[in-house]
Order: sequence, then structure tokens, then C-alpha cells
Amino acid sequence: MTVSSILSLFLAIAVSLWGSATSASSDYHEQLFLEPLPQSSLLASFNFRGNTSQQSFDNQHFRYFPRALGQILQHAHTKELHLRFTTGRWDANSWGSRPWNGSKEGGTGVELWAWIDASDDEEAFAKWITLTQSLSGLFCASLNFIDSTRTTRPVVSFEPTGNHPNASSLHLLHGTLPGEVVCTENLTPFLKLLPCKGKTGISTLFDGHKLFDAAWQSMSVDVHPICSSDGDCTVQIEQTVDMVLDIERSKRTRDNPIPRPIPHEQLVCDTSKPYTSEDTCYPLEKGTDMAWSLNEVFGRTLNGICPLTDSNDLSVCLRVPHEKSVFTSQGASELKQDDGFTRCFSLAETEPFDLSIPEQEVHTKPPLDEPILHAERTIVGHGQERGGMRIIFGNPSETNAVDFIYFESLPWYLRPYIHTLQATITGPDGVRREIPASDIVTETFYRPAIDRERGTQLELALSVPAASTVTLTYDFEKAVLRYNEYPPDANRGFNVAPAVIRVLDGENAQPIYIRTTSLLLPLPTPDFSMPYNVIILTSTVIALAFGTVFNILVRRVVSVEEAEALQAQTLKARLVGKVVALRDRFRKKDTKVE
Amino acid sequence: MTTINGDQASPKASAATKSSTARVPPPETSEAVQTRFRVIAAFWAVIVLLGFPIWWKTTSIYRAHLPIQEMVDWDEGKICRPVFPLEIHVAAPAMQISESQHLLRTTQHSLDDFNEFAAHHLRLKLANDTSASNANGDQTAETEHEAAEERADIALTVRVLPQDDLTAPRSEIHADATQLDVFYPPNQVPLPSSSNPPLSAFIAQELQGLYSEEKATIAHILSGETAGSDSESISRRLRRSMKYADTYHLSFSLFTPGPVPSSWDIEAAVKEYLTPLLDAFAPISNFTVDTQVQLYATFSPMAPPPVYDEAETAWTLKKEDLSAFINAAEWPLNPSIGSGPTLNFVLYVPAPSQSPMLVKENRASSWIVPQWGGVSLLNPPLSEELSPSNPKHLTQESLRPAFMTFSHQLLTLLGTPATPSSLPLRLQTLIRVRAATLLLSASSTMGSLARLTESLPSIPIPATVASSVSTTLTHLGTTCSSLRDGRFAAALASARVAETEAERSFFEKSMVGQVYFPDEHKVAVYLPLLGPIGVPLIVGLLKEVKRLIAGRKARAGA
Repeated sequence: MTVSSILSLFLAIAVSLWGSATSASSDYHEQLFLEPLPQSSLLASFNFRGNTSQQSFDNQHFRYFPRALGQILQHAHTKELHLRFTTGRWDANSWGSRPWNGSKEGGTGVELWAWIDASDDEEAFAKWITLTQSLSGLFCASLNFIDSTRTTRPVVSFEPTGNHPNASSLHLLHGTLPGEVVCTENLTPFLKLLPCKGKTGISTLFDGHKLFDAAWQSMSVDVHPICSSDGDCTVQIEQTVDMVLDIERSKRTRDNPIPRPIPHEQLVCDTSKPYTSEDTCYPLEKGTDMAWSLNEVFGRTLNGICPLTDSNDLSVCLRVPHEKSVFTSQGASELKQDDGFTRCFSLAETEPFDLSIPEQEVHTKPPLDEPILHAERTIVGHGQERGGMRIIFGNPSETNAVDFIYFESLPWYLRPYIHTLQATITGPDGVRREIPASDIVTETFYRPAIDRERGTQLELALSVPAASTVTLTYDFEKAVLRYNEYPPDANRGFNVAPAVIRVLDGENAQPIYIRTTSLLLPLPTPDFSMPYNVIILTSTVIALAFGTVFNILVRRVVSVEEAEALQAQTLKARLVGKVVALRDRFRKKDTKVE
Repeated sequence: MTTINGDQASPKASAATKSSTARVPPPETSEAVQTRFRVIAAFWAVIVLLGFPIWWKTTSIYRAHLPIQEMVDWDEGKICRPVFPLEIHVAAPAMQISESQHLLRTTQHSLDDFNEFAAHHLRLKLANDTSASNANGDQTAETEHEAAEERADIALTVRVLPQDDLTAPRSEIHADATQLDVFYPPNQVPLPSSSNPPLSAFIAQELQGLYSEEKATIAHILSGETAGSDSESISRRLRRSMKYADTYHLSFSLFTPGPVPSSWDIEAAVKEYLTPLLDAFAPISNFTVDTQVQLYATFSPMAPPPVYDEAETAWTLKKEDLSAFINAAEWPLNPSIGSGPTLNFVLYVPAPSQSPMLVKENRASSWIVPQWGGVSLLNPPLSEELSPSNPKHLTQESLRPAFMTFSHQLLTLLGTPATPSSLPLRLQTLIRVRAATLLLSASSTMGSLARLTESLPSIPIPATVASSVSTTLTHLGTTCSSLRDGRFAAALASARVAETEAERSFFEKSMVGQVYFPDEHKVAVYLPLLGPIGVPLIVGLLKEVKRLIAGRKARAGA
């Protein structure tokens, strides 16, 4: 069992419960899933789901659906919305595959994609701009900077998750802001969208300090319609927050947050090392996991359950081996699942809930599943003019090839040369071979950039054979921007949005998404006082040239003697003459006296 | 080799040869002088004929022509004096034509005697007149339609009916129609001889009473004065009401500090209690309705908490603290998206521990927040299972008092007068009041725009502004004439257009944008060019001018 499959299992259980219950039962669900990960990390996955009937959504009668968001969606004719705020990096090597199969996370920064109902592309784009402007205000994020250069229209990378009756008039638009810093000001509006607002239920655990201190965190908002076969539609809003907290880091108290070395007496040293002495210690790896409790990790306890949820809902689940002892506060009851690792808790309605796991020795560990594909993207090359992109795909499976879509949206100032696309493959034998890119790439969708209007959009359908590593490279040219197009921190470099990988798993309906890290592209940066220097220097040169030409044209040319003669006629010459005459007279007087 | 300026030397060259021993150059030939003159003239010609026009063309701003004087005249009320002639039909089916005509005449006479505000006057007409003309003429449907457009709106129909068991006339107004029934004892039929029959006086008095508030409001708007106690209440009402808009968004929110009630029969309640009212408003404004439920809505920490009052056995809020009741920071009461203002109606269900909640001074459970919306406190009966708690669901019936309050608040916020009791009459009054307000506000916007463009000669005036202004002025004229003809709905329609166009022209973005790159800045940057080039050019020009003047003098002397 895996993180993602367990999450989807809960989802399935919840959906079936909801389906079987009568319509009077609750249309709001929330769930917290906790799983300790290797290297003393803790994955906390929060999920909130609210339904509203399409009819009351259209008539703007909002109950579980936030009014502000609902009105924005209606105003922008948006039928399906996906919004992601992500920081940090998911360490797939240590933590295994991603929660929700990566379908609830975005690239670093902000990612937004939506299906908009419009008659043509232009109208869709106008509505898209309305949508981004409004969401920007709602979530206090710079979403209004998603302009035409950051907007793409992916062809095969995304599929609508909802049921749309009139799918033909829907337009998919996708925008990213890789440089956006996600922080507390985005969490506050996110919490306000929840019906219980962080006052009760699992959302009470949200604390901006802890959430944005996480090694990796992703907030998502998904809105889509779900229609049953008889034409009854509901609009569903699903909000998730996934984060990986470092337990040790989170346990630091708020009043003493500076990490300090452990006192010498408390160090557990490996005494078998030859250099062990009073002042030298090789710390011994502990055989046990660190003790933690909700209160220590999140800085607060869980305040009851949100009364809007179904009372039968198991809102907190924990994935640790069954042999491990877990203490909970009074009023909560534990329910162990059959898989040997998962247990869920039903909470008392109004009592605060805490959960603590003491330090203990356990011999079984819940298995981590291997991610289906490793992907890594870097910028290579040097110099101010050219560079290259290198994407490495690793298929860890020994038996199966992986088919996937690789989607890249590049800013216009990065101009790729697709003809330089090359592929090398390292097979199970470890030998590196150059192969034609067409052997790996089965399909290409490429939309070249237009300067200052739109970015490059590249979608490749790829297949990586079993136990192989494929490296794709291509060259690109860096454009020189206009003076006023540079941001204030131009020397930092320009963010390039992460690539999105959609794994096509034939038998599995749930898509698997993987995102690479975002990149920093250094562009040639001018000295910004240059324009003024240029203006002044050019002006001086022109003035010099003009003065020379003008003087030659209007002045008279005479010989030196003539000039002296003429000078005598000028006022200055006459004055000088008088002064000389006066001086001579004085000199004469002086000589007479002597 | 040294070069010196020749033009000074040349006139004195002959004199110099005598006094100086050195060899003086021969006087400049007239061709050389001529060439120099041409060179300098050519340079200046380029500057004046090419440089200046290019500079002028590239730095000038487009200012479309605006009819400034007309705009100011509108603002000062010189062009239009709004009048409100109300046409009232009188039907007296039981009377003879001559009798009813006499009744009409005498009533009109006493009405005119009463009236001291000339802009607003009531015109009586016999209902039979129009129906008769329709019956006589064989008009086609089209001309009939045109006639209907030309004809004034009928403000009120007075039906004068005899009733046997009466000693004095009495009146009855229909709450849902523009009709006033006057019952009179049959023996009071006015005699043709009497100049002021009691029935006429009664009808005149009734009509006067019906329209007194409207008259005062319009007089207040037109004069802009705030004196008098009557005027005080009117200006208070006008201050509370929203600015006129085509579309209002109504937002109904259920706020509660706890987890319940979390649902309400809002769709049914809106349909039952509100939709009829909104339909009645359709000729004036459109409405969108949205609703939300917000749990765990706590008071702002700054707001004074309610206090328990032993005498009232209730939690009370002080009147002066009501302004802090809405927790604007936490409660999601953001305005609705889309054009038009939002009116917020908050239904607050207090926590069981603070129930019931009232306003201390007047034991009221609702109040209006001027130009924003209304608040209503709902204290539902608490269930007494374990601990007192609010009901989970609010039924349509339990929402009834709150929605009655909201309807009343909505009418007030939209500026509807408090009297008379008939809603259609109040809405008609609202149409006239709104038309007058819009007329005045569009006119004053025109005046402000005119003054703005006069006082800031550096701002550009795009052609769109000019066209907006001309549309506004045309529609203002239409409004004025429609008012004069008594067609108030048409007047409101054109006043709406005038107001939107006026606002659009005033708030034109490209007009507000100031010069981003100031002239001083440009001069500073280009001084290294302009200085070294300008100085020789100007000196050259001055010398040439001096030479020409000297030459002319010499010629004149010779």
C-alpha cells in the first residue's frame, strides 16, 4: 500500500459512504492523513471537500461553497478550476511517490489551470484574464501577472476531472508563476474558504509559522462539476494542504527557536570508534523514531470536529505499524484497518484531540513505494548568449516501460532550437548510447514563442524503456530584453516554470503527475545607468561635430598678422593697449625718481 | 592660423588700415557676407521650419473640443428647470358629465390654491376623455402605440363613488395599484352653482396628503437646502439611501458564532418574501440575489461585547456600538463581482449563551447601516435537550420576520419614501425622485468636467470623452422634456444613460493619466546636446541681426 493509494482508498470509501447515504447526510467532508516518513519527517495531508448542487450554485445560494470564489467562477464562466500554491521540493528518493499521485500539487510558486466556457479563443482569454485578476485579489497572490506570455493552452497534458455536458465549448488555459513566494497571506484566504474556518475540525492545526516552515508544502483548490448518470449535477470544491514537516525542526519551541547543540552528557557516542574520547564523539544512529505529538509538531491541538461533517466520518488517520502504541486524548476511539499499518480515529465532538507517539523500537516499517519515474531538469552551458536544457528521465522499473507526456512552457526570452533535440539512453547494461530523438519521442506538439506575446509551449509524448535512463538535451538562445523589461532584481535571474509530466497509466484511471523543480535562467543584464550615459556621450559628440562644422561655415579665415591687426581694432585690444600705456607711464615715473 | 569673427572687423576695416602699422586683411567681399548670412539663415530655417513643428507635433496632446459653455449652463441649471406635472385621472361613473367636469374644475382649483411649490403640480383629467378619444378615432395599432408614448404616465386614478350610508366623504387607497377610491354620500354631489363644494375640497386635500412627502423631497433635491425639520428627515433619508445604479447585488448572509444553524430555507424565503418586491422594482433597477451561510463568525475583538440586562432578561447592544457590530476583517462580506453596488443583509443568530440579543435603547432587533445594508438579529427558540442550542435548520416560516425587515430596509436603502401606503405609488415617486437626482448629478458632473478641463490645460481630452459628453447633453435634454411632458419612466431611462455617460467621460482613464516623463527631465537629459549647439547658433543669429541693423543704419545715414 502506498501513500497515494491509501489516500485514494479513503476518498473512495468516503465517496461510497456519501453515495449510499440519503441526501440529508452531510455534503461536507474533511480528512487528515498523517504518515511518518524516513529521516524524521512527517507527511500531513489535509483534505476538505464540499458539495453544492449545480442549481443552487447557479442561483448563488452558497452554503458549503465559498461565495467569493463561486461568484468569481460564474463571472469568468469557469467550469473547472485548479489552483496550486507550492513551496519546497518533494524528495522522491527518500520519501517515495507523491501524495495523491501528484495530482494535487503544483510546480514551485503558483500554478493555475481552468476550463473556461467561451465561444472562441479570444473570448476565453478575456475571461481568463478576468479570472486571474479576481483570484489575485481573493488569494493575495500576484496571479494578475499571468498575462499572455505566461499562458499556454496544453493539448494533451491535462484532462478535465469533472463531468462537463458541453465539453466542446470549453477552453483549457494554463498559467504559472514560478517566482511567486507562497506565504501566510495566501493561507488566510484559503482558510476563509472553509466552512469551519480553522475554528473547529482538522483545519485548527493550520499555523502559518509551521506550514511555511515545512520542507515541502502544497495547497490546492479544485472546483469541478460531478454529474450522475441521470443528469443531476453537483459542484464540488476540494481543498487540500499537503506538507512534509521535519519533526525535529517543528518541535522547537516558539520562544526558543534557535537550534542548539546537544549537551555533551546527552550525546550517545559510538564507543567502538578508535578516536572516541572526552571531546570527540561519533554520534550513534538511533534505532528508534523520534517521539512526537500533534501539539508538539503543529503547535496546537485539534479542536474537536467540524460539525458540518458526517458524524460517522473518520477524520484523522495515521499510518504507522499496528504494533506501535499511539496515545490519544480522551473521547477518541481508534479503529485499525486491515492492511496492518493504518488506523483511524473517531473524535469527540467538542473535546480537543491530541495524538502522541512515544519513542519506541519497532521492527516493521510501512513500505514506501518507488516513484514510477524520476525526472530532473537543469540548465547547462555557459556564457551570456547561449545555453542548453538537459532533462533526465529515469525508469526504476525492471520490467515495464513508462509512457508519459512531458509538458514545458518556456518564457519567450528563452528561445529553444528544437532541431538540436538529442537523446541519449543508458540501458540496464550501463552503456550510454546516442539515439535519434524520434526513437523515444512518439509525438510532439510545439507552439513557438512570439516575442513579448507568448511563450514556447512544448509537449512531448515519450516512452522510456524498463530500467533505463533517457537524457534529452536541446540548445537555446537567450534574448536580450529591453531596458524597461528587466525586473528590479535582474541579476538574480529569471524563473523558468517547472515542467509537468503526466504519466499515462493505461489500466489506472487516476493520472499520475510529476513536476520538476523550477529553474533560474541568467540573462545578459546591462548596466542600468547606461542609457543616460549613452545619451549624454552621444549628445556631446554630436555637439562637438556640429560646433566644428558651424564654425568653419560662419567664421572668416585670415593670416596671423592680419589677425593681430584686426585684434587691435577690437574693444579688447584697445583696452589692453590703454592698460599697457598706463603701465608704461608709471614705469617712466619710477625711473625718473630714481 | 587664428580665426576671428569677421563681421565686427569688416565695417571698421578701412579705418584700421590708417591707424595700424600691421597689414590688415582686405574687407570681406559681399559674397562672403552673403554666404555667412545664408548659412545662418539655413540653420535657423531647419530649426524653425522642421525642428519646431516636429517637436510640437510629437509633444502636443490631443484635446477634443467640448461644449464648455453648454456644460456649465447645465450645471448652473440655466438650460433646464425640471418640472413634475402629475397626471391624475378622475373617474366618476355615477355622475353626469357636467357634474364631474365641475367637480374636476373645483378640485383642480383648490389644489392649485394649496400648492406653493410650482415645479411639482397635479393635473386632473377626466378618465372618460381619453377612452372616448380612443373609441372615436379609428387609429391603427401603431399610431395608438405612438400616442401612448406621447401621452403622459397616469400617476393616479381617482374613482369617485357614491355610497349610501355615509355622512362625510371618505377615501381608501389600494395597496397594490395606483388607485384611490373616494366614497361620498350621494347628497353631496356638487352643485354647479357652488364654487367650493366639500367633496372637491376633500379630494384636493387627500391628493395633497398623498404627494406631500414627494413634493418635499423633490423640493429638497432641487434646492439643495437643508433647513427645516421636515427637510432634516428627508436629507437623512437621502443620506442613507444608495446611489442610483442599474443593477444592485443583494447579498443575504446568515452569520452565527457557533456551528448551528448551518442551513436555512433561503431559496423559498427569497422567492416568497422578496421576489414580488424585486419584480415591482423592475422598471427602476435590476437585482441579483446571492446568499451564504457563515459559521463561527465571531465579533471583532475591538467591538464592545453585548451586556446582559436583568430588566430585559436579554443581552443588549448599545446603540452607539452598533457600528462595530460587523466584523469587517473576518466576515466575508466582500462586494459582489460585476458592475453595480452590493447591498448586504446580515441575519445574525446569536450564540445560545447570548440569546436573546436586542438593541438596548429601543428593544429593536434590526438596524440599517447607511449605504451598505441592513442587519437583523434573529433569536430562534432554543432547544433544551442537554444544553440550550440553536436549531440546526431555519425554516421559511422562522425567516419571515427577518425577511419582512430586510424588505423594509431594502426599500429604505433604495430611497423609497415612507408614504403613501400604496407600493406602486411609492415606486412612482421613487422614479421621479431618481430622475431628478440623476438629472442633477449628471448636470453637475458635466459642470465639474468643464471646470476640470479649463483648469488643467495639460491633460488630454480624447475623442471618446467628447462623444460621451455630447450623448450626455442630448439625454439630459430628453430627460428634461420628458419630465415636462409627464413621462417619468422615459425621463428616468434617459437620465440613466446621461448619468452613465457623464461618469464615463469624467472618469476617462487616459485623461487622468498625468505626464509621466516631465519636461524638466527631458531638458536635463538633453542639455549636453542643446547647450553646445544652441549657444553658437544664437550668438551667430545675434551677430547677423546686429550686422543687418548696422548696415541699414549706414544705408539710412548715407
